[in-house]
Amino acid sequence: MARAGIISGPPGARGVTAAPSGGEDAELSDDALVALFANGDERAARVLTARLGPKAYSVALRVLGNRAEAEDAAQEAMLRLWRMAPDWRPGEAQVSTWLYRVVMNLCLDRKRHGKRAGAVPLDAVPDPADPGPGAAERMQDGARTDALQAALLTLPERQRQAVVLRHIEELSNPEIAGIMEISVEAVESLTARGKRTLAAALAGRQAELGYDNG
Amino acid sequence: MTMVDKDIEDSILETHFAAARCANTVLPAGLAARMLADADRVQAESLRVGEGALAGAGRWRQLLALLGGWPAMGGLATACAAGVWIGVSPPDFLPDPVGLMAEQNSSVNLLDSYALSSVLPEDG
Repeated sequence: MARAGIISGPPGARGVTAAPSGGEDAELSDDALVALFANGDERAARVLTARLGPKAYSVALRVLGNRAEAEDAAQEAMLRLWRMAPDWRPGEAQVSTWLYRVVMNLCLDRKRHGKRAGAVPLDAVPDPADPGPGAAERMQDGARTDALQAALLTLPERQRQAVVLRHIEELSNPEIAGIMEISVEAVESLTARGKRTLAAALAGRQAELGYDNG
Repeated sequence: MTMVDKDIEDSILETHFAAARCANTVLPAGLAARMLADADRVQAESLRVGEGALAGAGRWRQLLALLGGWPAMGGLATACAAGVWIGVSPPDFLPDPVGLMAEQNSSVNLLDSYALSSVLPEDG
């Protein structure tokens, strides 16, 4: 996934890069890196943070819609990964799947305990870091992303999780079923209902978001 | 909703999802640093606990390791038990240790009638 591994600070901030500078560690599987971490290899933590940290933060940000809450959830999920490392059994499950499950459960816990912020900060999702499309296109993409985020937060919690994992994280239905501990059919149902609600929520904003000419 | 409407709706939704996927979600610098600090702390604690467990193992564990671990200890215990059993209930072709203990001491004169002086005569 293109987004994984990108770590940067706010403009002007001193860069803290956990991204690997290349080498053998970057080629290792998550299983191998977890084993190396458990054996005291410090570089493994940096590679795992660069590889899995953005995933944990991204999905938490989409589900919670609040930057501070998402940071807390992502940090807690990674902390559980570090603590679980000595007991990890390679090959039984994917580390990323395990991490997604932890993040989702933390998000649910925060909702149960009423910690989730109600409002969606406009800057919840940062602008693209790489220069690509022109300024107008970037602004339009930003507006569409913000509109999607606002619509996502109107969905029931489980529908939102399923839609985020399926259509933004691009995981397969069986993977999502494993993360959410439900059947594949239930995943399909959740995503279908979620997409219908999203479409209805976004329908009134088509002209504003640049869909007026088809 | 017609099929065409649904296709348009799916297409618009997909445009939103694509925009969200392209909005590179960066890991804030502070968050990355906190994650790494957690990792360092947990790793240090884990290694300290491991070293403590090894140091507390004591001489018996070191002896066990020297003998070859629990598999070797199993063989040793089996051999000891077999030895005790043979002592208590020996097979027919071995003498009864209880009978041996009951026997009186006896002496045998290997030189019989030969005097020591005749066996080791002095020269000259």
